[in-house]
This record gives sequence, structure tokens and C-alpha cells, in this order.
Amino acid sequence: MAQIELVHLSKVYGNDVAAVRDLNLDVAEGEFMVLVGPSGCGKTTALRMVAGLEEISSGEIRIGGKVVNELAPRDRDIAMVFQNYALYPHKSVYENLAFGLRMRKVPKAEQKERVEEIARILGLGEMLHRRPAQLSGGQRQRVAMGRAIVREPKAFLMDEPLSNLDAKLRVQMRAEIARIQQALKVTTVYVTHDQVEAMTMGHRVAVMRDGELQQVDTPQRLYDAPANLFVASFVGSPPMNLFEAVVERDDSRLVCRIGETELELPADVAAERPALANYSGRPVAVGIRPEDVREAAGWDGARLRGRILLVESLGSEQLVHIEIAATPLERSDLIDAAAQPPGPPLGVDDLERAVTLLGRFDRHLLLAPGEAVEVAIDPRLLHFFDLETGVAIPAVDVPVAAEVVS
Amino acid sequence: MSSVTQIAPTPVAPVAPRGRGRRRRTRQLGWNLLGLLVLAVMVFPVYWMVATAFKPGQQILSYTPHWVPTNPTLSNFRDAIHQPFFWNAVKNSLIVVSAVVALSVVLAFLASLALAKFHFYGRKAFIVLILGVQMVPLAALIIPLYILMSRLGQIDKLTGVIAMYLTFVLPFTVWTMRGFLLGIPKELEEAAMVDGATRFGAFVRVLLPLVGPGLVATSIFAFIQAWNEFIIAYVFLHTPAKQTLMVWLASFTTLRGTDWGPLMAGATLCALPVVVFFLLVQRRIAFGLTAGAVRG
Amino acid sequence: MASVAESEFPLASRRRRRFTRQRIGRVLAPYALLAPAATAIGVILGYPLYLLVKMSFEKYGLFELIRHKGRWIGTANYAHILHDGEFWRVLARTVVFTAVTVTLTMVLGTAMALLLLQVSRWLRVAITTGLVLVWSVPVIVAVDIWRWMVDYEFGVANWTLTKLHIGNFIRHDWFANPWTGFGVITALIVWGAIPFITITVYAGLAQVPQELLEAAAIDGAKPWAVFREVTLPLLMPIFVILTSLSIIWDFQVFQQIWVMLDFRPTSDYYTMAIYAFHQSFQISEYGLGAAIAVVMVLFMFGATLVYLRQMLRTGEVQ
Ligand SMILES: Nc1ncnc2c1ncn2[C@@H]1O[C@H](COP(=O)(O)OP(=O)(O)OP(=O)(O)O)[C@@H](O)[C@H]1O
Ligand SMILES: [Mg+2]
Repeated sequence: MAQIELVHLSKVYGNDVAAVRDLNLDVAEGEFMVLVGPSGCGKTTALRMVAGLEEISSGEIRIGGKVVNELAPRDRDIAMVFQNYALYPHKSVYENLAFGLRMRKVPKAEQKERVEEIARILGLGEMLHRRPAQLSGGQRQRVAMGRAIVREPKAFLMDEPLSNLDAKLRVQMRAEIARIQQALKVTTVYVTHDQVEAMTMGHRVAVMRDGELQQVDTPQRLYDAPANLFVASFVGSPPMNLFEAVVERDDSRLVCRIGETELELPADVAAERPALANYSGRPVAVGIRPEDVREAAGWDGARLRGRILLVESLGSEQLVHIEIAATPLERSDLIDAAAQPPGPPLGVDDLERAVTLLGRFDRHLLLAPGEAVEVAIDPRLLHFFDLETGVAIPAVDVPVAAEVVS
Repeated sequence: MSSVTQIAPTPVAPVAPRGRGRRRRTRQLGWNLLGLLVLAVMVFPVYWMVATAFKPGQQILSYTPHWVPTNPTLSNFRDAIHQPFFWNAVKNSLIVVSAVVALSVVLAFLASLALAKFHFYGRKAFIVLILGVQMVPLAALIIPLYILMSRLGQIDKLTGVIAMYLTFVLPFTVWTMRGFLLGIPKELEEAAMVDGATRFGAFVRVLLPLVGPGLVATSIFAFIQAWNEFIIAYVFLHTPAKQTLMVWLASFTTLRGTDWGPLMAGATLCALPVVVFFLLVQRRIAFGLTAGAVRG
Repeated sequence: MASVAESEFPLASRRRRRFTRQRIGRVLAPYALLAPAATAIGVILGYPLYLLVKMSFEKYGLFELIRHKGRWIGTANYAHILHDGEFWRVLARTVVFTAVTVTLTMVLGTAMALLLLQVSRWLRVAITTGLVLVWSVPVIVAVDIWRWMVDYEFGVANWTLTKLHIGNFIRHDWFANPWTGFGVITALIVWGAIPFITITVYAGLAQVPQELLEAAAIDGAKPWAVFREVTLPLLMPIFVILTSLSIIWDFQVFQQIWVMLDFRPTSDYYTMAIYAFHQSFQISEYGLGAAIAVVMVLFMFGATLVYLRQMLRTGEVQ
């Protein structure tokens, strides 16, 4: 078990494709670190550099305090679980599990003991003599895990190990991997593009985009205090509602104007975000999570007026698409492309610039498309971002990203 | 002869494992030098043939080799084609090759259609037969074949040679065509039938155009085999006027002692069509007996 | 119910009959399609194979050839060759020749495929093209080239070897001694066979999933161990097929020797195929030749079986 440090790590393919740029990341001993981001953002590349399968263009990788840049994969004492498992098709399950031990010249008897122990834990005892082709997807996945565990390496590296499983099995294996990691307390770097996986499994989650690290934090903090528009739109499902608003100073109070509606920001909100005052008279991006869009009944604060476009029932609750008058974000390059809310319908009547607001409501509420509604917005739950840079306008006590200083 | 030439899949470049830094570059240089050496050694004989073909006589008959033909001449080629029976041999080879190609493509297509599109009793047995029969050594069969052909009055006749060539290329061409047919998704044909085509119409409009590359590949294979074959032509065609190019080339020396310049010119001429066709198939069509053998 | 429908609606019954006729057509169609090819194979491959076995039990000389009928003599031909010292020498020579040639072909071919993995892209393309060029040279042409290269007077081989101080090869006749003669023949055959082996093995190497090699590297395997433990076993089917094919091709070697030695090799150069050919066509003992050929086929049968099994196993045959 060991700490893994990535220091100013960069990878350039050929001469121009920068897959990873100046990545600083510190994975503590025994930590479960998840690397997450949209497709092509450089997660796999980063992981493969740690494994030693990809040459490092610049920067440094340390495992257990030791620089491993020049070390071959076999000398780094790490184990890797591949997306498609990479089980040796010509070897039995037993030989697959024992291979790493054999290569490291572990005595035969001990090999047998350890393989059988792992097989028992993972429920593979019956299948030791089968070939990978004779296993189900879930069983193969388990063998791949077992092959990593049995070596008792310093660290586990996993590249989307669950993406080949069906939805149900994925949820099950998710828990299993997290449980195993907790039991063994082995430093783990886990790559996924699925933010649900990231949030449920990681002690901390590192969000990447275009080769750059956006934010590293615990799942909860990532959710509560995203460092920029990208993280805000990437983390959470359904994603955060984002639109433009204008901050104005009215006497001593700060007011946030969304479309025609003015939301007064209570004094404590303003006090928490002193920087917000500098934006008065200028547009900012505001965000609100779907579950923070509330039913207006019994709310005496500001309300947003809108019209229901669509109601999606999820069983336990309903997702409601509400069209409100507000300015959509112009800078779509700052947010996660996949999280962009569906554009407002064509031929909108009286509302000139409309935004679809997504709300989660109790399933007992009777809502129908076309209905006019009012929703309550608690200004305390709003997130504010700079429109130019996309950076969060922070509350005083929230550190942005846990930067590693080399 | 049925298995002298085989055509393998066009290789896909695998990702070479990466080493590290400067050490890697020197090592790469080393490998490249070795590669160049190997390439030179492998290609040298072919180069030597062409170079000799263009050299004037005194450069050929010299104790110190002239590595490059400095005064290239076509006189060797002139001598070669003025050898007795050259044009007869060309004509015979062309007759044999075109007959074998045409017949083998038709027969192989019909047979492979049966193997690929129908389920019938004895199908697997036929496949095993086709694979196994390719392995029977020609050198052993030539004795009874001679007896058979003499009974049928086919000694010293091109028709007999054509029939034998045809049979020897059939197993491979059927096998290859079958692979091409299997590669065409059944749904395409079914879609055509759903769209209102008859079974035959679907066959003509959908299957035939798609199997085009297969037809080309098998006919090139048959061409190369029939062009290159020696033993049968040598044993069965006695009259010089009836011999094919390979027999003509092989008996070149025995006629006039060894005259290396014209011999190499003749060899170059004989090799030329095959080399051209071979380079064509290699680039365009990937097929072979081992494709997919690695998979799990 | 069907019979009621039939009697009541003659139209329906007609349709039914046509349907069955169609079904008969579908059952017979594949056989009709196969018939021409099967006939050709039967007459020109199948029947001669039968004839070969039959002749090996017959006295079949010139007289019988003219009469078109052999005379049954039981196993006398086999008894004859088994007591013929020449036959055993030829057999041993062929086996050794095959073993050496196949081993060299496979080892060098595979080594070159591995080399292809290491060289730069442009060189890989160049080597592959060069290999295809060599591959396409007709056997008779290749024989003539090599004959020219090892010519005792003006051959480039003698000059080069002398210059390299490997020995004095001036006016060295390679074919005076069957050992060096076979050396040249082996070189010629290996040279011609390497392209097929290299290109096929390389295509196989390209199919080995990259992440298996990476997994092995992470599991602690050194490069040689990765090759032995992962690459080699995955390529095994290809090696089996290529080796058995090479054995089959090299065991029946004929034309290279025949043409290289001007259509009249001395008995020092006899291999099984040449011996059988000599017995039948030069001394007109067709029966004896057939018996030798049968023994040759039997020797190659093992390799054929291995090849067939592998072909059927790799799932090419559904
Ligand atoms: N061998 C390579 N040569 C050139 N560019 C590459 C290579 N491998 C990856 N890239 C590029 O580097 C970038 C990052 O790739 P990477 O595989 O790390 O993405 P990823 O985050 O793992 O994506 P995914 O979720 O789709 O697996 C991509 O733009 C990709 O096109
Ligand atoms: Mg990836």
C-alpha cells in the first residue's frame, strides 16, 4: 500500500494531441480515488501512465514516495483491471489468478493457498478449472478483480471495469468492489465516465476535462460546491439547472434578476460570498439543483413563473420540465455538452427567451403539461459562477480545489 | 501444385511496445538496420535476376560481379523471345490459364453456394474432403494420373492439362468463395426478398455484386496456379510446340547450354504477370486459411 | 382438417403440391450445385487416389501400360521396396531434409515476423512489399535464379563467400557434393517459403489483443515471459497449421531438385517424390512407383490429420 502522487504530469501524443495537461493529484494511502470525466478527457491516458504502459511526456509520478517514471510496469508493483478484463484466454481461471504470483516466483504451495483463498472470497471456487470463455460476464469481471487482489500490490488501477456489464450487475459489482477496497485498504485509482459510479464509490473524485483537472474533492463537496460550471453540469443526475441572471445592488441589498423575476439575496448569502458584490450590474451564471426547485405552496419568498412542458414519472418522484423566462447560457463551451438541457421548444409565444428548468417533485403532486405553475427558489441554494471564466463565485469557507503543491 | 501458393490476410499493424527515451531511439535504430539487412538479403535474388537480364554479356560472364548494370541492354530479352517455341509457349500458357480461370470460377461459385447457403446431408463431409484433398501430394498422384490420362487419350493434349489444373485449384477456390459468401449477412438477401424480389432475383441483385471481390480473388489464385505449374505440364506435354511457359523456361538451358543473360530475361518475363497480379491481390483483398485462427 | 380443405378447395391442394415440389427442389439444389465440382474432384483426384493404391499391389510395367491393365501381385511391391537399401536411404534423406527445411522456415519466418513488429513503419511497409515480391516469384524462375547465383564460374555466391574469407570458393561446384547441393536447395526453398510464414504469423501477432500483453507486463512478466506465456500460446493454432502445411510441402519436394539438377539428379539427390517418379517414368515400374508414393502419402498423413483437426477446430467450419 502506498501513496500515489502525480506531479505536473503531461502527455502529448505525436506532437500536438495533449491528452493530459499538467495534472497534479495526490492519492493518499488506502484512498479510493475516482477519475471521472467525459469521453476522451484523458482518464485512461493518466491511468496508463501510472501503470507504466504509456510513456510520460513531462512531470513525475511517485508511488510510495519513489519516482517511478523510468520503471517498467512489472517493477511498479501495481495491479490493473482492464475494461474488457484482459483474461488470458488460453489459461484456466486458476492459472489466470496464479500468473502474477508465478511471475514473481512465489512458491507453488503459497500460490495455491492464496489463489484458493481469493477464489473462495470471490465465489469462484467451483470454476477454477474453467477457461474464461466458459464464464459469464460477471464471473469474468470477478476473475479480473481476483487477479489484481491476489498479488497484494501497492495499488489497484481500474479502467472502467464495470462498463461491459449490464445495468443490474453493474450496481451489484459496484458495491462489491467498494467493499473489497475497504476491506483491503489498498490505494485505488478508478477510472470511469459514469458520474454515478464516481459519486457512489470514490472517497474522493477527480473531475477531468480535455486533459485538465477541474476539481478534486469528496463526492458530497463536489455536489454541494462545484468549482466551476463544468463540474456543476457534470456532477449530478439530472444535472444542475444553469442559466444567466443579473446581479444588482438595490440600496444595501443584493438582488438577483432572473428574467423578469427579482430574487432578493438575504444578507447572509451576500455575506458568505463577498465577491458577489463586485458583479453588481453584470450578468452571472446561476445554478440550482433540480431537487432544490420547490413547490411554491406555503413559500413566501420569491417565485418563478413558468409553464409545464413535460412530466416524467420516476415512480418515487416526478421530474418536471418547466419553461421559464430566463436567458440561457451563451457559453456552452464552459459546461458539459452531455448535460445541456433540451432547448426551449420552437414557437414559444409570449416568453422571448426561455429556459427549461428541471425540477424534482413529490409524486403526489398533480401536474399536467401545459399547466402554468409557480416554483419557489431559495436564494440560499443558488450557485453562482463567473460568466467569462466559468469559475464559481465562492463562498468564503469553501476551498476550490484541493491543489497538490509539489 | 494445389498448395504452392497461399494467400494470407493483409496484416494490420499492431502497436509496437514502447520503450523509453534515448535508449529506445538507439534500439530502434538497431532494429531498423537489422530490418534493412534482412530486406536486402530477401530481395537480392530477385534483383539479381532483373539486373542480369539487363546486362551485356561481358558483364555477366565476369569473375567480379557487376552489381549494377551500367550499360543496360535489351539484347537478352530479344534473344529470349527468339528462342524456339517461345511464342508457342506463351499461346499455350494463355489458353490453359484462361480456360482454368473461367471454369474454376464457375464451378467454385456453384459449389460454394451449396456449402454456404444450404444445409444438406453430407455438407460437413464435403468440407473435410475439400480440405483433406488439398493435402494429397501431387508427386504421388502423378503416376495414376498418367495411367488415367493415357486411357482417356489425353497425353500431350492441353485439354487434359486444363482438366487437371482445374481440379487442383478447385478445393482452394471453393473454400475461399465459401468464406466470401459466408461473409455476406443473410439479412441482406432476406431484405431483398421482403422488398419483393424472388429468391433468384435476390441472388442476382444482392449476392452477385457483393461476391465480386471473391470472384476476383479466386480467379487470380487460379491464374497464378495455372501459370506457375510445372510438374504436370512437364510430364504430360511432350511435344515442344505444346509446352507451357514454365516448361519452356525449365528446358531453356538444356537446349543451348547455359546462357545466363537470356535465361534471366526469360525468367523475368515469366515472372512478370504473376508478380503484378500478386501485388494486386495483396493490397486489395485479404483472405486466407489462417484468418481468425487466433481468436480466443 | 387438412384433407377436408383439400377436397373442398382444389386450388389449395394445387398450391400444396407445388409447395412440396419446391421443397424437393430445395433439397436437391445443393447437390446439383456441387455436382460439377464434385465430379471433377472425383474423377481427377478421387479415382487416381484409388488407382494409386490399387497399382501398388499390381505388376504394372510398360506391357501393362499398353494393355491398360495391371496384374495383381499382392504385397510384392511393398516387400520389394522394404528390402531395398536405396528406399531406406531415400526415406531417411527425405525425413532429414524435411525436418531441417521446416525448422529453418518456421524459425526464420517467425523471427522475421517479430522483427517486423520492432522496425519503423516505413521499413515495415518496405519489408512486407519485398516479401510479397519474393512470394510471387514462380518456383521454376526461383530455381533458375539460384542456379545462376551459385554458378561455379560466374556465380555471385562464390565470389562473395571468397571475399568474406569464408573459404576459397573460386570455381566451387556446389552440386558435386550432395550435402552442399542440398544446402543450396534448402536455402532456395526456405527463401521462397519465408514470406508466407512471416506474413501469416505477423497477421496473427496483430490479432493478439494488446491489453493481454499489458496485463502480463503488469503481472510482472519480462518480455520473453510475455512472449512465451501469452503470445506463443495464442498463436499456437497458426503455428500448427503452418508447420503441418510446411511439412506437407517439403516432404514432397520435387521440382526444385529436378530442375536445379538439369532433369537428371544423381541418386544422391533422390527424395521420395523423385524416387517414385524415377521408378515409374524412367524405368517404367509403375507399380513400384505407386507403392513408394503410397508410403509417402502415409508419412504425410500425420501432418495432414493435424492440419485438418486444427482447421476444423478454429471454427472456420460451421
Ligand atoms: N495512442 C494515441 N495516439 C494519439 N492520441 C491518442 C492516443 N490514445 C489516446 N489519444 C487521445 O488522447 C485523448 C485522451 O484519450 P483517453 O483514452 O485517455 O480518453 P478517456 O478519458 O479514457 O476516454 P474514454 O472515456 O472514452 O475511455 C483523446 O483525445 C484521444 O483521442
Ligand atoms: Mg478510456
